[in-house]
Amino acid sequence: MKIELRDVRHVYSPGTPFAVEALGGVSLTVEPGEVLGVIGGTGSGKSTLVQHLNLLLLPTSGQVLVDGADALSMDRTALRRRVGLVFQTPEQGLFAPTVEEDVAFAPRRLGLDEGEVRERVREALGLLDAGHLAGRSPFALSGGERRRVAIAGVLAMGPEVLVLDEPTAGLDPTARGDLIGLVVRLKASGVTVVIVSHDLDEVAEVADRVCVLGGGAVRAIGTPADVFYADTSPAPTTVRVAAAVGERRLPGLGRPVRYGETLAALRSAMGGTG
Amino acid sequence: MTAVRGVGQFYPVGSPLHELDPRAKVVATALLVVGLFFVDSAAGFAVAGTAAALLVAVSRVPLRVFLGLLRPVAFIVALTFFFQVFFLREGPTLFRWGFVEVHEGGLEMGLLLSARLLILVTTAGLLTATTAPVALADGIEDLLSPLKRLRFPAHEVAMMMTIALRFIPTLGEEAQKISRAQAARGADFTSGGLLARARALVPILVPLTIGAFRRADELAEAMESRGYRGGQGRVRYRELRFRTRDALALVLTVLVVLAAVLL
Amino acid sequence: MADPASISCEHLTYSYPGAAPALSGITLEVRAGEYVGVVGPNGGGKSTLVRLLNGLLVADSGHVRVAGFDPAAEPFEVRRRAGVLFQNPDNGLVAPFVEDDVAFGLENLGVERVEMRERVREAIRSVGLTGYERREPHTLSGGEKQRVALAGLLAVGPEILLLDEPTAMLDPAGRGEVLGRVRELRGSRTVLHVTHHLEELFDADRVLVLNGGRLVAAAAPEALFSDADLLRENRLVLPTVPRLASDLGLPFCRTPEELAAAVERRSRDNSGVEAR
Repeated sequence: MKIELRDVRHVYSPGTPFAVEALGGVSLTVEPGEVLGVIGGTGSGKSTLVQHLNLLLLPTSGQVLVDGADALSMDRTALRRRVGLVFQTPEQGLFAPTVEEDVAFAPRRLGLDEGEVRERVREALGLLDAGHLAGRSPFALSGGERRRVAIAGVLAMGPEVLVLDEPTAGLDPTARGDLIGLVVRLKASGVTVVIVSHDLDEVAEVADRVCVLGGGAVRAIGTPADVFYADTSPAPTTVRVAAAVGERRLPGLGRPVRYGETLAALRSAMGGTG
Repeated sequence: MTAVRGVGQFYPVGSPLHELDPRAKVVATALLVVGLFFVDSAAGFAVAGTAAALLVAVSRVPLRVFLGLLRPVAFIVALTFFFQVFFLREGPTLFRWGFVEVHEGGLEMGLLLSARLLILVTTAGLLTATTAPVALADGIEDLLSPLKRLRFPAHEVAMMMTIALRFIPTLGEEAQKISRAQAARGADFTSGGLLARARALVPILVPLTIGAFRRADELAEAMESRGYRGGQGRVRYRELRFRTRDALALVLTVLVVLAAVLL
Repeated sequence: MADPASISCEHLTYSYPGAAPALSGITLEVRAGEYVGVVGPNGGGKSTLVRLLNGLLVADSGHVRVAGFDPAAEPFEVRRRAGVLFQNPDNGLVAPFVEDDVAFGLENLGVERVEMRERVREAIRSVGLTGYERREPHTLSGGEKQRVALAGLLAVGPEILLLDEPTAMLDPAGRGEVLGRVRELRGSRTVLHVTHHLEELFDADRVLVLNGGRLVAAAAPEALFSDADLLRENRLVLPTVPRLASDLGLPFCRTPEELAAAVERRSRDNSGVEAR
């Protein structure tokens, strides 16, 4: 499924003295099957933007198109099933006595039969390496486990697009690594992923395209190499390393972004046997 | 994103009312509220109503803040008025249409009770709008402190108020966040009967409660690590000073209340 | 101070009720003015250690002295000398306004009011939040909230700061703000800094590794972060720059520039080797 935002504006509390324009005319396409990274500082409009992808927020003006059709005229519930949105610190929403029950919440709301619900739960927990936690209380898990279970709760709806808002915030580096692994697996299974993050390193690792938001507008959009090498001031560590090496006029570096690419490029720049 | 200013919150503008000692304001409010229950004449309500209107003007708090306060009680006022007007059959009949009768006593009672409610809410609103929450808690602590001898936990009550005021917006934001997250999982809070709606709230209330307990734990730890050990030996950051103008304000309040009650 | 050791623990052991020991046989010493990092996997005992040092928990056995006092016996003496900055500032700020919150510790100490006002003003200034006195905590960013919490500690004037993952919930901008303030305090305070982000400890004097309730290593950051086996055993993830350096067989590097220089040096050596 393809989602298009056309000139989307969003104003909070319009017509009051507290009115704030969070998005000022954003146009953007989420292509089917891609991993789109959305980056930008606090207040850049990232969280507002992603809530337009499943119409939890409605644009003040502008259009949201799903596969070319106006999303505003579509059934909201169906749209929210197809576009799963995982908010920041989603574990705050865990409520059921067992992990299994919690993850089953969304598929049950879809009115699936019990066998199908169980299958969805098993699948979602499996994708998140959390199958062994099914019978546990969500409140007795570690931070990283709780986060994974909460994401499974959205994944169990079987969304075509999964939107992750700061999926790794507040986690330790090991748990972060696990979640980045998840994004890679999701993409392999055909799910489109939109990942919003402050952490450029992790966006660099998984994104096919990167969108830079600032002050409620799209500042840049393109492949990670195009975006990050055009402006290296806020860039992933790998790009900063490559830029620093490039300044020393070492040949053959190219424009590596992912860790593996960067490592290989540095090896070849060092020449010899490394 | 935008912090929602709830009703009944502190409205920080400079005014003579903002300057008053919170203790004086709490006592004055109590006097007015209690006094209102003894006012039973139109003239008395005219005095009380005029006084409230004057105070609102002096407070420099915009009228819409009070209107916001009155909106939720408007229904109760309307209901009270309706019951008194149509069901209290005292005094000469003013109006009759089929089985509907309106008597003079009913109309009068309806108007008085409505006026009482409206003035009551406005007075309470004046206190919270012109008094910083911390000052209010400090004032109440002071006023309750004579009860400490009877083992009444005056300091603890004030501390609880302070903490509640600090965390209400935080918990409000959390509730909003959780309900949006559950909506993204297909939760529906608006359709179905009463029971269905109550059940739909479970996925919000459970995490909110658990979150509140976790916050309470962490807050207790942070307070302890910052050397908190109850009210003993504590010096409050804000100093309350009872000045001549506070005494004057109280005297004025007493006079207004007496006038309203006796008229 | 007569005692040069700011913090000392001997054979410290603690178990949460009904659980395996969270800390066992911890012996360590931190000198006055030292900046010491503490790392290790979740459940390794880092937070428990901080709580024992502040008297929030009482050890089952062993000795602790913090700023010359035993936190179990005289917690209030310790707490005025050793402040804790917790992970989530949202749950640590007590008062509905910034200045009232910063004053909280001083109120508890019973500091005289004129002095209190002065110290609150100075503490707010020292974290760069002058003008925020009347702001309500829920309107602040994460980094700002954590700076308010830090100001609340500094107002009390502690000689020791215990930082319990203070940047874990912050975005990069907020992390930078908080770490910048902490860095300014270096030398004038003893700092024990618990974190999962190893890059925050690149210039620490020493780093301690806690795993399974035991102190498994204590070394200078370069030594520790260059030890691949030690890192793996303790589930420590190297930040990108030193990880690239390590994967390239280069010595420990902190910044992209250091790494670039090391790459250049190696490249020159290599071409030299080939030319010969």
